[in-house]
Amino acid sequence: MELEDEIFNDGLPKKYYKHNDNGQYVLETDAPWAEKVSCALIISSNRANLEEIRKAVLAGQKSPLCYYIELRQMDPGMLANAAGIAVFRVKRHFRPEIFAKLKPSVLNRYTKALRVTLEELKTVPNI
Amino acid sequence: MTTELAANGKPFVHHHGAHCETAVTSALFRYQGVDISEPMIFGIGSGIFFGYLPFVKLVHLQVTAFRNKPGSVFRKAAKRLGANFVIKTYRDPQQGMDELRQVLKTGQIVGLATNLYWLPYVSERHRHNFGGHNIIVMRETEGGFRISDPTFGDPVDCSADGLEQARFVPGPMNPRGFMYYTKSVNPHPDLRRACIKGMKNSCGLMLRIPLPIFGVRGMRFLAKKVIKSPDKLGFQEACRHLAGTVRWVEETGTGGAGFRYMYAAFMQEASELFGSEDLAQLSREMTAIGDTWREFSVTAARIIKQRDKEEETFAKAGGLILKCADLEEAFFKKLQKVVRTLQT
Repeated sequence: MELEDEIFNDGLPKKYYKHNDNGQYVLETDAPWAEKVSCALIISSNRANLEEIRKAVLAGQKSPLCYYIELRQMDPGMLANAAGIAVFRVKRHFRPEIFAKLKPSVLNRYTKALRVTLEELKTVPNI
Repeated sequence: MTTELAANGKPFVHHHGAHCETAVTSALFRYQGVDISEPMIFGIGSGIFFGYLPFVKLVHLQVTAFRNKPGSVFRKAAKRLGANFVIKTYRDPQQGMDELRQVLKTGQIVGLATNLYWLPYVSERHRHNFGGHNIIVMRETEGGFRISDPTFGDPVDCSADGLEQARFVPGPMNPRGFMYYTKSVNPHPDLRRACIKGMKNSCGLMLRIPLPIFGVRGMRFLAKKVIKSPDKLGFQEACRHLAGTVRWVEETGTGGAGFRYMYAAFMQEASELFGSEDLAQLSREMTAIGDTWREFSVTAARIIKQRDKEEETFAKAGGLILKCADLEEAFFKKLQKVVRTLQT
């Protein structure tokens, strides 16, 4: 329950159409319960996924590119489109040993597409 | 409701609406002096729709659209209401921002499509990589813009950098600086004719598209997928997909129940406009459809929370979507008949 309340108290409220007693539609701000439950599930699973990838990167199993792609809510196809690099190359760069050898010109394309700095792209936040 | 001033000192009233694009369009019209409500724009612009797009994925979840594609509501509504409007996209971010500043200086307010992920004032629960969120820019301030985002409560400030980032995101979710505003509007639009056009178009969209993923066919397709999902994907993953669907029903600025309540509100207004009892009846039917969608999302939430496992199953959730499909098919067929009897 805490997560649901936390994410729904944060930020600006939205409005929903409700039927009032006279049969007219009015706008109210309290969110339906189903929405809270499903949002909490999606956000918590996204966070858990991101955390898992971060640990995998620190353990040397994946490249930092995996982390930033997940952080920016993209998939390899979208990143390939944004950076102008073929999908199979993007997927190849998920392997840390290949990512470590990349030239700055390729990395710069990724930094532009993902909007991170070059230093950030080479590591992940280590909390 | 808050009143702010545009660049030339003309007052602009910020209304808190349910959906971004309809609320933006209605605000643009209101600013020009035509008082028109958000549901009315939604009906006239043929916003109601259904599409299940299994091949488009956002954060690993499929897209289920309950409204027409972004941008079309404004275009259709403005055309049908006889407005003189401008729609532009840009390749070059600098040019896009310059033209925005120029238009704002003339005292216009401007609607923009932005990427929700990159807007600086958006909180985590709204942040997903979706390039069709509409906002209004009222005026330029020092180092930024004054923005009225009708889905959120109050006008907000946004830095120029942040807005440029949100307008021009590299990749397929790029809104390409999509910008629109009305130059002038017809002060006495023919609402009746516009409503009839909107309703007819909606009927066609829901019933006639010969593809299995749109309209009522799409709903049945989705229902089958939902029923099969626990066997195919496993319980956890199926729950995530179901939650994704519920988010499209309730969360993405639909005003509840996948725009069905908003459409019912439109039918209510239209029935007053035409003085037609049939439309009032249809409005009540649409409310019933909305209630069924709401029931579906509650069932889905109970599945996710694992309450009452015997009763709340994926089959029941899928069955409710099938019921919605049947009800909506009947609704739009009836609407088709009623529209023919309406007088302009």
